[in-house]
Amino acid sequence: MITHKDPIHILLADDDEDDRNFFSEALAELKMTNKVTLFKDGKELMDYLDNPDIKMPHILFLDLNMPGKTGFDCLKEIRANSRFKELSIAIYSTSSAEKDIEETFVGGANIYIKKPNDFSKLKKVIKDVVNINWQFHSSGLNKETFFFSI
Amino acid sequence: MKFLRLYKNDQVFRIALGIAIVVIGYIASVFYSKMQQLDASVERIATSSQTQLELEKLLSIITHYETYLRSYIITKDEAYLKNRFLDRGEIELNFVELKRLTANSPSMTRSLDSLKVMLDKRFDLFRETLTLARVRNADKQMLNDKLLESTAYTIQMRDHVYRAIDREAKKLKKLNDEHQFGLNDSMVSAFLLVILSLLVLLLSFNRVSSDIYQLQKANDELKFLNQAFNNAEKVANFGHWKLNLTTNAYTFSENFYRLLGIDPDSPEATPENIATFIHPEDFESAAKAHEESLKTFASTSVVLRYVLPDGKTKYINSVGSFMQNSKGDQIKVGVNYDITEPYLKNIELEHNNRHLKAVNEELESFNNIVSHDLQEPLRKIQMFISRIQEKEDGVLSEQGKDYFGKIYASANRMQTLMIDLVNYTRTIKGDKTFVKTNFSSLLEQVAQELSINVEEKQGSLTFENLPTIKAIPFQIEQLFINLITNSLKYSKENVPPKIRIAGVKITEPETIQDKVVTDRQFCKIVVSDNGIGFRQEYAEKIFVLFHRLETDVKYAGTGLGLAICKKIIENHNGYITVKSKPGKGTDFSIYLPKT
Amino acid sequence: MKLYIKYDGIMACRVILQEQLEKHQVKYQLLDLGEIEIDEGVTEERFAEVQESLNRYGIYILNNQKSQLIQRIKDAIVEMVYERDKLPSTTISHYLSEKLNFSYGYIANIFSEYTFTSIENFIIIQKIERAKKLIVEEELTLTEISYKLNYSSVAHLSSQFKKVTGLTPSMFKRIIDKRRLLVNQVE
Repeated sequence: MITHKDPIHILLADDDEDDRNFFSEALAELKMTNKVTLFKDGKELMDYLDNPDIKMPHILFLDLNMPGKTGFDCLKEIRANSRFKELSIAIYSTSSAEKDIEETFVGGANIYIKKPNDFSKLKKVIKDVVNINWQFHSSGLNKETFFFSI
Repeated sequence: MKFLRLYKNDQVFRIALGIAIVVIGYIASVFYSKMQQLDASVERIATSSQTQLELEKLLSIITHYETYLRSYIITKDEAYLKNRFLDRGEIELNFVELKRLTANSPSMTRSLDSLKVMLDKRFDLFRETLTLARVRNADKQMLNDKLLESTAYTIQMRDHVYRAIDREAKKLKKLNDEHQFGLNDSMVSAFLLVILSLLVLLLSFNRVSSDIYQLQKANDELKFLNQAFNNAEKVANFGHWKLNLTTNAYTFSENFYRLLGIDPDSPEATPENIATFIHPEDFESAAKAHEESLKTFASTSVVLRYVLPDGKTKYINSVGSFMQNSKGDQIKVGVNYDITEPYLKNIELEHNNRHLKAVNEELESFNNIVSHDLQEPLRKIQMFISRIQEKEDGVLSEQGKDYFGKIYASANRMQTLMIDLVNYTRTIKGDKTFVKTNFSSLLEQVAQELSINVEEKQGSLTFENLPTIKAIPFQIEQLFINLITNSLKYSKENVPPKIRIAGVKITEPETIQDKVVTDRQFCKIVVSDNGIGFRQEYAEKIFVLFHRLETDVKYAGTGLGLAICKKIIENHNGYITVKSKPGKGTDFSIYLPKT
Repeated sequence: MKLYIKYDGIMACRVILQEQLEKHQVKYQLLDLGEIEIDEGVTEERFAEVQESLNRYGIYILNNQKSQLIQRIKDAIVEMVYERDKLPSTTISHYLSEKLNFSYGYIANIFSEYTFTSIENFIIIQKIERAKKLIVEEELTLTEISYKLNYSSVAHLSSQFKKVTGLTPSMFKRIIDKRRLLVNQVE
């Protein structure tokens, strides 16, 4: 059982350096007990996840539009592996196209975040996502139908 | 009609003619045999008459003899007796003649035989009488008795002869009657024969002349067809050629030469020359296709270029197929038509299409740039501004804060503008596939989509009587989203917006933009609200791109929303009109074709 | 072949508890949801065994008094949302304070303190969770679902659904359908 005393381990894969900075700054300002690991592309992320020794992270924030291995490729690979069944995947993208939202949810994403254009909104989004994810895990909600789009 | 048709039928006509000839032959043979019979009966009539005559003659001789004998008895003049008396010579001659005449008749022969006996007896009586008479002082009584006896016998003989003559006369009469009848019969046969022959002759003549007429007509028609065909070739820019596979001879139509810019009457116009006009690059492939077809007898269709004497290039489509002529030779018939113009046009069209596609792709990538690539830096700008506003708030001067506020507002406005622009270009481009769309379920989704926005204003959104018609679903969705958002935006302050979307029957034809809109062709949907409304004179302007009626900041917008609606309606070949009154709300009427 | 099942989690939990406790020969009595009374005389060793075997099923024995209360509040809400054919029309605060014997203020405070979310929000999440389940089961229409979950209208349900999930019920349904289609294609 996760309690909020456990550090929440968050991953972010985004090729945009500014976005990675915004993200870690927002997390820092939220003052949550957490640990964040940043990746600058899909390959780096998958290399990390492929290591069987790692402790399973809680949430992965995944940018869709990355050079080389795209976010969608990563999503497919992760969802094809039952080892990551418990890992919540939050798509973190500039696009708000319904098509992208639907496709990623169908592909196994749990959360879809349109990158906010305001830092305070970003903080709120991250907080909401961590929260709802925690709710899902702590309240035994059905992971199969866990969708959250913000 | 039926007869005429049979008459026209060759087979039937031949059979009829055959039957007629057989009938004529039969009647002719009947006629001939009748004539033969008549001939025979004439002979028989003659014989019969002769027989009668001879019999009479015979009787008269006897009578003569009797008279001479009496005269002698009375006068005792020997002259009466002379040589002929008691000489049976004449009678014998007579009798031979009779025998000859009656040779064919057994009854007559029998009668003659008995007559001969009688004759002999009579001559015996003559001789006895004469003997009695010559005796001097003859017993008169005896002589008288003898004479009486002789006379009685003569009468008896005469009766016999008369009977024979009678019989012969009866026979003659019968023969005569038969002859008369046969003659009549023959006349009828002859007449019939003539009539029938005439009829057959007439029919044959008629038939032959009509056949000749038909032939001539067909010939004329063929000539005309040929001419028409030649003209058609000229007009339609095609020519044809034939290759007899048996004789290996090529023939080319006149226009074929003309197509290649050669006068058909010039010495250049020979089959051997044709091949030299084929574009060298196309020669091999065309020849190969041709030769291949000669083995397989499959139809061919090739496009090849001909280089004309004047140097111009012509695109020719050559289509070939096989048939047999009346002699049973395989013939390859080819039709060549000039497709230079359509071919070049097609190339141009393809070029234009490619260009259009490229433009569309550019538009698409423009869309991507606007919706994604341009949004990225803009979002960064907004993020950094929000960072500065939050973190550097204390160190900024009032004016600096103001500037940043303005930058922030401008960036936000730019963002909405870009989103609307993407939506607008999507209505221009985008896939325009019409599918059967249930407007009720589509609006159900729109209502779900906008549920939060409606709830924020404590508004209500109802819809009823909506049609199911062919439409572009995502565009119709966009249309209603824009109209509902519009109504929510221009709602009165402190009055919960009420938006009602209803399908309405067009009870009377309405005239929109000089077009009559009827219930048969169009669906009408009215979107009405209780918002702030506007003056009717602006009705046209609100659909104009980037045109905005309200300048108040709280009604901030891009001026694209309703322009998008209009564009969507135009894409559906429909109409959108608006009726409004300040403070009374607005009614948008949408007319969409039912099919 | 992929089968879609419908299960009663609470019932499953009860059966597992019964089986496991009986296996370890612990005398027990099932009380309300999330509460068991066990015999005082269980050794610590055996208690640890029971605890371990229950943990494997995701069932934890709460020792902390407050955690226990939080769980009871959650259970009460889940029971309210799931067990009843129709949500009570009396106010939820009234229902909870009566059920748990604490003032609503106390319940709400302790809940948000431990769960990072308000009790109201938790109820909404649970209601939407139930709505999802009902949508997936495809037995009820949206109108029927909104009635069952005590929403004033489909629009109200839709807007709350959208607030919680960011999706409209239609899109949610579409995603579920497509996922099933995808899974069926793979197999």
